[in-house]
Amino acid sequence: MDDATGASPERGVHAAALASLPRATPRRLERLLGRQDPARVWKKVQTGQMAKWVAGEDLHDIWRDHARGADLDAIAARLESLDAWATTPASRRHPLAFIHDLDPAPILFRRGRVPDPTAPAVAIVGTRRCTPTGRSVAMELGAGLSGAGVTVVSGLALGIDGAAHRGALAADGAPVVGVVGSGLDVVYPRGNRDLWEAVSAAGTLLSEAPLGAEPEGWRFPARNRLLAALADVVVVVESKRAGGSMHTVEEAIRRAVTVMAVPGSVRNPAAEGTNLLLSEGCPPACSTDDVLVALGLATAGTSAVAGSSGAADGPAEPARHAGGASLDPLQQRLLELLDDGPVSLDMLVLRAAAPVPEALVAAEGLERLGLLARDGARVMRA
Amino acid sequence: MLATVRSATLVGVWGHPVSVEVHVADGLPGFTIVGLPDASCREARDRVRAAIVSSKLTWPPKRITVNLAPSDVPKSGAGLDLAVAVGVLVADGQLEAASIADLGVLGQLGLDGSVRPVPGALPLVDAMENSSIVVAARDSAVAELAAPERVRPVNCLKEVFEALAGTEPWPVPPVARSAPPAESEPDLSDIAGQPLARWALEVAAAGGHHLLLVGPPGAGKTMLARRLVGVLPDLSHAESLEVTRVHSAGGLALPGGLITRPPFRAPHHSSSMAALVGGGTARARPGEVSAATGGVLFLDELGEFAPSVLDALRQPLEEGMIRVARSQGMVEHPARFLLVAAMNPCPCGAGGTVGCRCAPGALARYQRRLSGPFVDRLDLVVRVDRPDPADLLDAGPSTPSAEVAERVAAVRARARERGAVSNGELSGPDLERHAPLDRAATEVLRAALAEGRLSARGLRRVRTVARTIRDLEDGGHELRAQDVLAALSLRMRLDGAGGLVHG
Repeated sequence: MDDATGASPERGVHAAALASLPRATPRRLERLLGRQDPARVWKKVQTGQMAKWVAGEDLHDIWRDHARGADLDAIAARLESLDAWATTPASRRHPLAFIHDLDPAPILFRRGRVPDPTAPAVAIVGTRRCTPTGRSVAMELGAGLSGAGVTVVSGLALGIDGAAHRGALAADGAPVVGVVGSGLDVVYPRGNRDLWEAVSAAGTLLSEAPLGAEPEGWRFPARNRLLAALADVVVVVESKRAGGSMHTVEEAIRRAVTVMAVPGSVRNPAAEGTNLLLSEGCPPACSTDDVLVALGLATAGTSAVAGSSGAADGPAEPARHAGGASLDPLQQRLLELLDDGPVSLDMLVLRAAAPVPEALVAAEGLERLGLLARDGARVMRA
Repeated sequence: MLATVRSATLVGVWGHPVSVEVHVADGLPGFTIVGLPDASCREARDRVRAAIVSSKLTWPPKRITVNLAPSDVPKSGAGLDLAVAVGVLVADGQLEAASIADLGVLGQLGLDGSVRPVPGALPLVDAMENSSIVVAARDSAVAELAAPERVRPVNCLKEVFEALAGTEPWPVPPVARSAPPAESEPDLSDIAGQPLARWALEVAAAGGHHLLLVGPPGAGKTMLARRLVGVLPDLSHAESLEVTRVHSAGGLALPGGLITRPPFRAPHHSSSMAALVGGGTARARPGEVSAATGGVLFLDELGEFAPSVLDALRQPLEEGMIRVARSQGMVEHPARFLLVAAMNPCPCGAGGTVGCRCAPGALARYQRRLSGPFVDRLDLVVRVDRPDPADLLDAGPSTPSAEVAERVAAVRARARERGAVSNGELSGPDLERHAPLDRAATEVLRAALAEGRLSARGLRRVRTVARTIRDLEDGGHELRAQDVLAALSLRMRLDGAGGLVHG
């Protein structure tokens, strides 16, 4: 039983209640809790016996009044219905990574299994506004690493984060961990509800935010530090110069966690941040193997196929070579032009110097073969 | 005494004959007009009196009653002024009744007795069968189109009086002004690069397919749209008359008399429903969709138009005409236009890609403004982007409009042989007969349907576009897989998440 102190089943209702106190920042909660039993701490808060230095004069009274009015049964029922647990450092199931961190996470909400602390973990992060290439690279990395037994950690956001998890789930390898910024019962972004459920079912969903917490802006930098704390390596797939992923990188550097970046085209604004990281000396992640080498799970020079079972067999990989034989000269030419990076369809037709209908038909054929992808504005190699 | 003068009034874009009956009787001096006149028509009382007095003629100090027959047709505008004035003069005995026996009279009066042009002169004159028709001199060019040799252009009421009294001959019609040099239409050769958009333009012109250009600001969407008219063939005589009639009825300037080139109308996105489809309180005047009939209706910033206004375009897009009902009756206006629309992919313009600053929600909202059924009617949806200057240098000279116009005319001629104005109007059985699919093409379409890329309407539209594409190439009878694939490529789907999605 988890955090067993009183009524059964106990899902950490006192910890959950403490997290819901007004203005309960991780730092205040850390001072309040230490390694003590949350039930006893809760009683102290309720009876006004809390040490004044924990949160200051005024919060002392506010917390006391709040605790007296709190409905623990409702919180317990909520945890029960979500099948969620709240843990503190007093629990054996509280991740060690968060206890010994620079900025510890004193209370953690969890759905799904307890993450395996011995498994190597890689955080895959990146921009929400990624290119199709970035999305497919994130999926391949997620699938490859998960297949190689690595825990893929990500933020469940749109774009790169979600793609990495989708890839890892599809590979059906090591369980994944998602760390989110809102309460476990507040799905954000709403479009990722399916992913949210899939991650809790097949892996772990973690959050520091109390139940019902909205995805407020300040929660995401706090979430990013948890990503960095959990990971052995952080891989940035696509990122602009500023943004959440770069913040995760800073947190990783503070913790001496290896940061790797996927190189991108100089014409791709979504790769500005990653290319900047590379120019500053960050090692490149061109394939799953590069990441495995950084983890010490493979040695440099291992061939892609031999390196790991699932790694090289990413979904897009076979298709890139398969169609080669059946391409007509115009299609070959279009592919060569696309090596230069994504362009608008208009520009591709112009550069191919072929009659428009023929070029359109050739591009259409390439797309059917899975060799060409489009986003709203541009076409690119898939 | 009673006098009856023939004239006409506008109902929709058509003229309707009107008899102006004037009765002058002894009694307390007064002036009444009956027979469904609108406000400006009722004001004729004051204009007519002033014009007669200013022309040094006698205003009878008697009881004057004017009846506009038939009494169930609403009369509007000031076009009946001159007829009322002539009627008063005849009824008062200042002119012989015989002098107006077979005379039609049309014109607005100024207080000084001058005769002014009226909107809709072409359909109005068309409605009058009299052997001579008096019109304002400035209307004579247009009136001549409907009633050659029967028009008597005049400048003022005095001239009419003298001609009818027999003291002076009818004024000589002004020498037909040579039509002002046709405004040169912008040429396609001004546009460098952009082969895809240019080709889409050619397909749109050749097949009469509605076109939507999506792209960031500065990509040349408006430039492209304006050049569409230049590749369309001249209007046929029947089309010319129809277009001129609509423009005349709508009170639009007709500098050269008959309109022979397809019109280009570009209403602003703040336009109201009434401005676009036609309207007015009592009588529905033709709106922009009718003014664009036979030509191009260009809607720039499509996403900024009120959704209800756009949905009102569905009937004209489908049926080539618009039916507008107002308090005093329903009218049908012609509205057979080629729709060209342009829009940014999202509010910021960068288009759902990495440079875009719009929240995903804002993007979806922006595109949800266009209803599915409306977008479904746009056969060609094409992405336009700012060309890369380096490529423009290599691109070489662009095809001029004249060359494209030749190909367009050839395809249109083929469509006429099939019994349609354009391929875009082929439907049902005609499609089966004139646009048969070979086996591979059927497969391609079946796959597209299975993927959910096409609706049933979309399927029909793709087939007509493929017909046009084949016609542009060699006019072969059967549609091949490549024709259908090219047609599918020209039909991107608007999608909330990524701006445009191919499909």
